[in-house]
Formats: sequence, C-alpha cells, structure tokens
Amino acid sequence: MWQATFTKLGQTLLVLLLVSVASFSFLKLAPGDPVTIMLGSDYSKASYDQLTQELGLDQPVIVQYGHWLANFVQGDWGTSYITNQNIFELAVFQALPVTLTLAAFSLLIALVIGIPTGVMAALYRNSWVDVLATTLAIGGNAFPSFYLGIILIWVFGVGLGWFPTLGFVAPWDDFWQGMWHLALPAITLGAWYVGLIARITRSSLLEVMGQPYILAAKARGEPGWRVVWVHGMRNVLMPLVTVIGLQLGGMLRGAVMTEVVFSLPGLGMMITSAVLNREYIVIQAGIMLTGVLFVVLNLMVDQTYQFLDPRLRRRK
Amino acid sequence: MNQVSVLAQNIPVESSAEAPLLEVRDFSLRRKKATVLDRITLSLNPGETLGLIGESGAGKSTLAMALIGLLRAPEVEIEGSLRFRGTELTALKEADFRRLRGNKIGLIFQDATAALNPCFTVGKQIAEPLRRHLGLSASACRARAVELMQSVGIPEPRLRLDAYPHELSGGMQQRVMIAIALACNPELLLADEPTSALDVTIQAQIMELILDRVRALNSSAIFVLHDLALGAQVCDRIAVMYAGQIVEEGPSECVLNAPLHPYTQGLKSCVVELGMPTLTPIPGQIPPLDAMPNGCRFAPRCPKAQAICGEQRPEAHTRDERQVACWFID
Repeated sequence: MWQATFTKLGQTLLVLLLVSVASFSFLKLAPGDPVTIMLGSDYSKASYDQLTQELGLDQPVIVQYGHWLANFVQGDWGTSYITNQNIFELAVFQALPVTLTLAAFSLLIALVIGIPTGVMAALYRNSWVDVLATTLAIGGNAFPSFYLGIILIWVFGVGLGWFPTLGFVAPWDDFWQGMWHLALPAITLGAWYVGLIARITRSSLLEVMGQPYILAAKARGEPGWRVVWVHGMRNVLMPLVTVIGLQLGGMLRGAVMTEVVFSLPGLGMMITSAVLNREYIVIQAGIMLTGVLFVVLNLMVDQTYQFLDPRLRRRK
Repeated sequence: MNQVSVLAQNIPVESSAEAPLLEVRDFSLRRKKATVLDRITLSLNPGETLGLIGESGAGKSTLAMALIGLLRAPEVEIEGSLRFRGTELTALKEADFRRLRGNKIGLIFQDATAALNPCFTVGKQIAEPLRRHLGLSASACRARAVELMQSVGIPEPRLRLDAYPHELSGGMQQRVMIAIALACNPELLLADEPTSALDVTIQAQIMELILDRVRALNSSAIFVLHDLALGAQVCDRIAVMYAGQIVEEGPSECVLNAPLHPYTQGLKSCVVELGMPTLTPIPGQIPPLDAMPNGCRFAPRCPKAQAICGEQRPEAHTRDERQVACWFID
C-alpha cells in the first residue's frame, strides 16, 4: 500500500516540476523587459546594469529558474505592481479558500441532487422518472454555466430578490450569510455536475443491480432499500469517484467562469484580473497554484480508491 | 389461480410429522407470454432431499428462485400454488416473504465468487441474516459467525471473519456461502448447482459438507443439478425437468436404474461410465420458449414420438412411487 503511495507521490512531484517549467517559461516569453518596466522611461546604462544584476537577470536561464523555484517553494512569490500586495498571501490565503469553498459546495449540491436522481432513474428504468432524470441530466450538461448563472441572477437575484447577486462572505465567519451568498454560484457550477453524477449513478447502479451478489443479498432477506443503498451503492462509489476525479479539471475551469459572473474573489477572479492588467507574476502564481491544486486533488482521489475497493488494498 | 383449489387450501390442516414441508401444485410461471415453468407439481417431506435434474434452460434454477420469492416482479405471471409449512407462498406479502428468506429458506448460489459482495467482509455477510432474522447483537453475531464458519470447515475462522471475499479461495468462498445460507437453521435449503463453479477435487468435499450440515440440522434440501448420477447419489428423490416441465419424478434409485421417460433414459445414456463403448447424446436441443410444441415438449427430440405426442400434452401418470409424463411408458 505504501509503495504505491510513494510511486504516486514521485509522479506527482514530476508533474509539478513540469508545471513550474511551463509557468517559468511563460514569464520569460511574456513581452516587455521587467527591468525597463521597473525603472520607468528615464534611466542610465549603469542603473540598468545594476538592477539587472540585482534581479539576477544576467545569470544563465537555468540558474534563474533555480532561484525562482527556490523562492516559489519558500512562499516568496513577489509583490503585485498594482496593489502592492504579497502575491502568496493574495493567492493562498485569500483567493484559494474562496475557490475551494465554491467547488466543495457545488460538489455537495451535485451529489445531494444527482445521486438520488440517478438511483430513481435506475430503479424505475424507462419510466417517466427515468425520462425526466435523463432529460435534466443532458440539459444540465448542455447548458453553459455562465449563461445559467446570468439567468439565476436575473430571476432569483434581480427579479425576486431572494439571493445576493455578487460578493462572497466566508462561511467560517458567518455560516448562514456565507451559504446565502454561495447559493446561486454553487447551483450554477453544480448544475453541470448534477447531470454527470446522475448519469453515472444510473448506469453503474443498473450494472451492479444485475450482479449475483445483489440477488444473494435479497435471498438473505435484506429489505429493498438496504439492497439498493447499502449493497448496491457501496459498489457504485468506485465508478462515481473515478468520474468525479476525472472531472476535477472541469470543476476548476467552471469555477473560474462562475467567479467572474458572480464577482467572487477566488482564484479565477484573481487570474482574470491579472490577465486584464497584464500582471504576469500574478498569472504565473495562478498557473502554479492551479497546477498544484489539480495534482493534489487527483492524488487524494487516487488514495480514496484504496478505501473504497478492498480488492485494491494489500493485507498488512 | 383455480378457485376450487384455493378454497380447498384454506381448510386448516393439522400439521403433523407426515405433512409435507413443501407442496408445489400445478405451478406455472410465465414471462412475456413464454411459459418458463409449466404446471410443476411436487412435494417434499421434512428431512427429505430432492434433486432437480435437467439441461440448462430446463427451468430448474427458475423454480428454485420462485421458491425463495426472488421472481416476484410485475412482468412475471404466476399460477398455481406453492405451500411451505402450510403457508401459501404465492399469496404472501413481500414483507412476510422477506422474513422467510435467509431464515426458513436458505439459498446457495452456483458461483460464490460472484454471489459475495466484494466490498463487505465475510463476517459482515454471514452476520446479516443473524441480525435481521434472529435479532442478535453485533457481538453475538460475530460469535455465531465464527461458529458457523467452523461448522463449514473454514480454518481459523476468527481471522477469516474480517477477510474480504477476494482474499479467500473459491472453495472457501463457497463454504462462506453455505454458512450464510444455513445461518438461521433453515427448514428448506435450496442449492443451485453448488459445486459446478469449483475444481473437481473440491466438488466432492463441498457436496459432502452440504449434505452433512443438512442432516445435522434435519433440514430438507433441493439440489439443482445437471448430473443425473450425482443427483441420484446425493438425493432421496429426483425430479427430471425438461423445458419447464417435470417429466419424471420418483425415488432416486428407481429413476436412475430404471428410467421410464425417454428423456431420463437419454440423460442416463449421457453418463460417462468406465468400459462404455460410446456416449449416446440426445439429438437436438431444448426448443426456444416462444416456440414450444403444443403437445409433449420433448416430442421433437424423442426417439419414441408418435402422432399423439405432437398434438396432446401427456398428463403425469403415477406408476408405483413415480410420476411420469409420457404417452408411452411401457
């Protein structure tokens, strides 16, 4: 069990290294000389050389990469030109929690609606329940999330006035205010997942319910609900987690869009405004952090397999 | 269902030692207009073992599944009567039937590897019927599960309790299945080809084990088998099934040694014995369910078939202790 974990960890580090090379090259390839930008229009040859030396830009690229990576790992991500803010603090302590909260809440909504929908669709296959669930699932997948967000704002925010249309309140500061502000964005982002989760649940459960061990559970006198929710769903968890894991990238991408629509100060919003302001080092930090996040989440998904499927575990 | 027979069954019968444990009368099962089981009639006394013998597709497993109530779906049409300990099973509410399943009626599946849930430990799966039907506490369940595992010959049961099915061999998995089926001391054990998924060397052991346990618990058992000789060796009585019908039924020795129905005779000549020059296979195969002949279902393959066989269904004749459904039993 541990050997597999270490192998996975090694792979993860390799992926992160590649992400760092990509995001370092991105800064190098960006137009504009950082020294001229920092010095302004009026400077002497001597001050130019001095700053170049101070910034280490006269060193070979590989050495520059090494310095940059060392700084990055130590949390020294530089300072924003515009807000003068520490970028590490901005990204990790301010933006990241917003994005993670949004993603987690959306996933929760998607699971709470998607799983029962999928189960009903599987149990009443080809009935109106199934048709309705499948239609909703495909509809949810086909509907662009930014468009759904705007409709939700228009109907529930502006029209009915039930929910705030923008802004973020941390649920750990004020839980109910936080949930209230998160409701529309989380539904927007979660809607896409409801369909996905419902479809996977339906097809996996249909397959599992045809297995002899389900018949065996019935033959032991287990009541119908236990056969479905315990004996059946326990075996549906594996494919479900796999698909959720595969779609994590889509989740982060969707979060960017949703944050912009609802003006939530998350990673997506941070990267978007950095792009608009051409703040390359913030974009770079955003790329790195998204990469790390994606890789870490995938690692976590991989680890849960061993808990979910006893066949993947090794006996101690 | 026949109105007269319902009335007749409602007359309370004093249950004595002589009353059959299971009485199947004119039981038919239809699925999408296809008659899967056709007017099955048989009875089983307490402590008796019965072998259902036939080719695949004969309806043996279907009958077993119907007996434990796993075919109670809207698209399955049922006719006739199944009486277990004097209770009419076909009229039983699902919640009441559930109390019999895994409790008074146990079922051993053909392929234990597929019939054990891969995500739960063996101990949990053995404990399930104990908890549900006997209401034992968690610790009592574990203790009883260890006893059960011991009784079916699983070494070091205490260690194996927390093992997952994939950590056991096929033979051990089948022993676990047996332990589950026998957990609540059922009065009727159904064993659906309990050894055909196992290695030959283990088959005899498992068969012996099931018989041992059945005798020890003084239960009745129905074995679904495709091997006539094995059936005759293991069971007190044998019912030979063909295309959803019982064609011959009687004491094992009589059926094996002096088969009356042409199909049973054909099955017997398929048995491999030492010094036999050649096998005589039965020509052809079971007709598909939607194209069953009107008369005797075996007629198209029968060497003795005459005009009447294709036109009229032969009723079961009683001959000594036997029932035979054939126009020409002499």
